Amino acid sequence: MNKARETKNSDGGNKSRSVTSDLASRIAGAKSGRSGAGNGSAQGGSRGASGHGRAARLGTEFIAAILVGAGIGYVADLAFGTSPWVMLVMLLAGFASGVLNVIRAVAEMNAANPAPLDADLGPSEDDDED
Amino acid sequence: MADPNKVDPIHQFGIESIFAIGGDDGGFQLAFTNSALFMALSVGVIAAYLILSTSGRGLVPNRAQVLSEMLYEFIANMVRQAAGTEGMKFFPFVFSLFMFVLVANLFGMFPFFFTVTSHIIVTFALAMLVISTVIVYGFMRNGLGFLKLFVPSGIPTPILLIVVPIEIISFLSRPISLSVRLFANILAGHITLKVFAGFIVTLGSMGVLGFMGAVLPLIMTVALTALEFLVAALQAYVFAVLTSMYLNDAIHPGH
Repeated sequence: MNKARETKNSDGGNKSRSVTSDLASRIAGAKSGRSGAGNGSAQGGSRGASGHGRAARLGTEFIAAILVGAGIGYVADLAFGTSPWVMLVMLLAGFASGVLNVIRAVAEMNAANPAPLDADLGPSEDDDED
Repeated sequence: MADPNKVDPIHQFGIESIFAIGGDDGGFQLAFTNSALFMALSVGVIAAYLILSTSGRGLVPNRAQVLSEMLYEFIANMVRQAAGTEGMKFFPFVFSLFMFVLVANLFGMFPFFFTVTSHIIVTFALAMLVISTVIVYGFMRNGLGFLKLFVPSGIPTPILLIVVPIEIISFLSRPISLSVRLFANILAGHITLKVFAGFIVTLGSMGVLGFMGAVLPLIMTVALTALEFLVAALQAYVFAVLTSMYLNDAIHPGH
């Protein structure tokens, strides 16, 4: 590799401009190649670790929202002396936002790892006529 | 710990004071605990490694420099993807969080070391740091427009009465889920590892048959150790990814 660089330098000694532009294009090529490779490996890594990571993520997203909803309701009940009504309502709202959290998390995961083009995703709309 | 055969999987999470300042007269006591020691160690190791490995500034990097440059680019790409170029002003924040969680998790994989992230107060403090950054920067940058985060566009007013509280709870649940996920993964992993390793000792002391049976939990322990290394890195990554996603909400509120 060193030798190749030396011969290149001696070739382009008088036209250093073309050498630098050549170097710039090589650096750009290496950069784009490396960032592409980096992305690929990161994606592969998250896909390889998918089961455990996804399960943990979805579970906590759902539970946390329920806990927060019930907690807000509990504090509000303590403040207004309406036990247990606000807590019941907020618990249900917590369920709803837990579902919302999970839907958002899954949408993010699907966007990050889209299904392959030829994947069988079930019947298409055309098949659904009858 | 008098009986070596006694398995105590929780013992490893005990907090002990190494030295303390004040408190002699019954006043406020500031203790330097094993938890604080390992936080300081984590920060020290991160700083020392990054400073030493990049001090050469080689155009052709050596191995140590390649590793720190890879870490940098990994997080930089992640922040840029999740929060855009504007999110890069939070790169030092996300990078510090990622490195701290990663090194603290990996420190926990050494025998007899304390795992900082196995205490929910530590992970909750980190999560609150993230969420308060999101809230403060969101209001600083967008003013009251930040509240659009709770009001999805294109929804009729009567339904907003239901949707807005749900969105608010969803937002408030973020620090909880962020901290519980990290803490629960690390805690559960370490307890499982300890329990299975304890089976080896217990079975091994039960004669020849038990000694042969102890091979099974030994295999399990080896496999679990590998899994724990994966979880340690994965949870640090998840923490950093979600941090940059939440920061993206602060920069671009309104879905």
